[in-house]
Amino acid sequence: MFDGMLLGLETAFTLQNMLFAALGCFIGTIIGMLPGLGPMSVVAIMIPVSLQIGDPSTTLILLAGVYYGAIFGGSTSSILINAPGEAAVVATAFDGYPMAQKGQAGKALTIAAISSFSGGTIGVVLLMFFAPALANFAILFWSAEYFALVLVGLSAISAFAGKGKVLKALMMTLLGLMLATVGESSLFHAPRFTLGIMDLQSGINFVTLAMGLFAVPEAFFLAIDKIRGKKGSSKKSQEISNLRINRKEAKAIMPVIARQSVQGFLIGVMPGTGATIASFLGYAVERNLASPEEREEFGKGSIKGLAAPETANNAASTGSFVPLLTLGIPGSGTTAVLLGAFIALNLQPGPQLMQDRPEVFWSIIMSMYFGNIVLLVLNLPLVPYIARLLTIPRSFLIPFVLFFAMAGAYIGQNNATELLMLLGFGVLAIIFRFADYPLPPLLIGFVLGQMFEDNLGRAMRNANGIQFIWERPMTLMLIISAAIFILIPLIRDWLAKKHK
Amino acid sequence: MLDLNRAVALALLAFSSGYAYLAFTYHLLPFELFLSVRPNTMPLALAVGGIVCSIALLIKPQSQEHETEGDGTVNRADGEYLKNPQNYNWIQGIALLVLATFYALFLRSLGFLFCTTAFLILGGILLGERRYTLLISISFTASILVWYLVDQVLTIFLRPWPGWFY
Repeated sequence: MFDGMLLGLETAFTLQNMLFAALGCFIGTIIGMLPGLGPMSVVAIMIPVSLQIGDPSTTLILLAGVYYGAIFGGSTSSILINAPGEAAVVATAFDGYPMAQKGQAGKALTIAAISSFSGGTIGVVLLMFFAPALANFAILFWSAEYFALVLVGLSAISAFAGKGKVLKALMMTLLGLMLATVGESSLFHAPRFTLGIMDLQSGINFVTLAMGLFAVPEAFFLAIDKIRGKKGSSKKSQEISNLRINRKEAKAIMPVIARQSVQGFLIGVMPGTGATIASFLGYAVERNLASPEEREEFGKGSIKGLAAPETANNAASTGSFVPLLTLGIPGSGTTAVLLGAFIALNLQPGPQLMQDRPEVFWSIIMSMYFGNIVLLVLNLPLVPYIARLLTIPRSFLIPFVLFFAMAGAYIGQNNATELLMLLGFGVLAIIFRFADYPLPPLLIGFVLGQMFEDNLGRAMRNANGIQFIWERPMTLMLIISAAIFILIPLIRDWLAKKHK
Repeated sequence: MLDLNRAVALALLAFSSGYAYLAFTYHLLPFELFLSVRPNTMPLALAVGGIVCSIALLIKPQSQEHETEGDGTVNRADGEYLKNPQNYNWIQGIALLVLATFYALFLRSLGFLFCTTAFLILGGILLGERRYTLLISISFTASILVWYLVDQVLTIFLRPWPGWFY
């Protein structure tokens, strides 16, 4: 193995490959900032360009850089303008955007960069040493376990169910789950609830819903209220772009990063789960582990609430390479696209890759490590400049926020109906916000809804009923964890209220 | 009294009921009748949950607990806006949404470059920007840059000009 690692280092650390890794990170970061262009689209778009290089190692190094860069770029738009253009960075907006509103955009971006770097790097170390063993573990997970895992991910809604909002949060989750059933699902091939509208045939587009729920209302409230968000933009630009994290904060996020790197990686290893569940799960777990005072901060600008999903989604992205490289099974949408690149390069990922083409196998792994370093080195100096975007006058900022939200929904679809749907969701979201309904549970329900139904359906078909819940220990354990995650905070709040 | 909270709950009840009706009347294929999970199994469960939840929201006494932070500039509870509506610039907000609707309606026919530039300029003017030269130049440059990046670099087609132009 160490020979292979040395070979990988030798291949990845040539000047040409290092330059391509840096270029990939840069391109990925810039394009990933555009809502609607998540890592999967960016990697897919870059494949034809990268294939021109010719050398398989360099091509894959460039694509890995693009992948990591795009994940970080997506976090940036989530934090700065509350526009999560990709499901895996929705949880980043929960605390990242409130931090930016408080004038801590620079700090939020720094925490995101450090968490991404740590999650990715620890993930690569785990990938190097445990990939083959973990691949065998991953295939033990069946639909029943996936269903239970989604249930644990859904428990993240408890973060938004405090202070008399339990019913509202539950209603919003149900609404999200209902919206997720629109269109075709992989389990049932006939479209449902489309009302005969062709544009709904393939379901509601995630970007359209996310931008409608988050970016449009934000632009509206900023337009009607000149004071809103002023604390975030009226501070001196040095303060907004301040990257510094004090010792107390570093101490607080370190255990979060350590836990979420491992947890996120393990979730990423399981084919089909990916970074989205990892980020929600990370958020839910860390909220439950936090002290009562820290828990109150979740959803309002908690550094732990930001570090947890950022670490988890990067570690999971790395973890998703395990089934691809060791079994030839793509673990996520992006790795499925990467599988296409492998095939185009005449490489067959799977158990033979390590033996037949060790230089490719190890150079990809080593370049991931290098890509993470490049991402940190490249992006940290840029953070002050990126954060200063918030100091742009509102007459420029608000139309641009709205434009980027609409561009995200339109690009790739080329369908103006998406824009009308986006605005419709935006108006609904404004009404919900006036009535104090929390919107994140709606998006969590929507994002996890299809996975929830597909896996529950498959598990029930396999078991011909629901006995899989108690027949499969792992499923039972995960379901009990989900129940604990949801119920304990509610009981705790109820007891606290009673004591008052 | 039907306050906004209850009105929203009522709308959600109507939505859940409509969804329940569609789920209940969903046309199952003959073989689907024998499946343990049918295409309308989860929708029916969700609809029941939605109806129960929205009725509970309708009946439950409403209390809005808002959290304002220190000077009240951040995290102003959104419900606060309706309490003192005269303090806010509703026209700007609504006009911006109307402008966005026009953008959506005319984007395909007028082309990306013209529509986006016009949206950004008019949006800026609407929000009180009077430095027209700066506004026009930034809006035009941004439209061109985004179009160039998406259409030319990423090769995702975005019609730049009006449909009748070519």
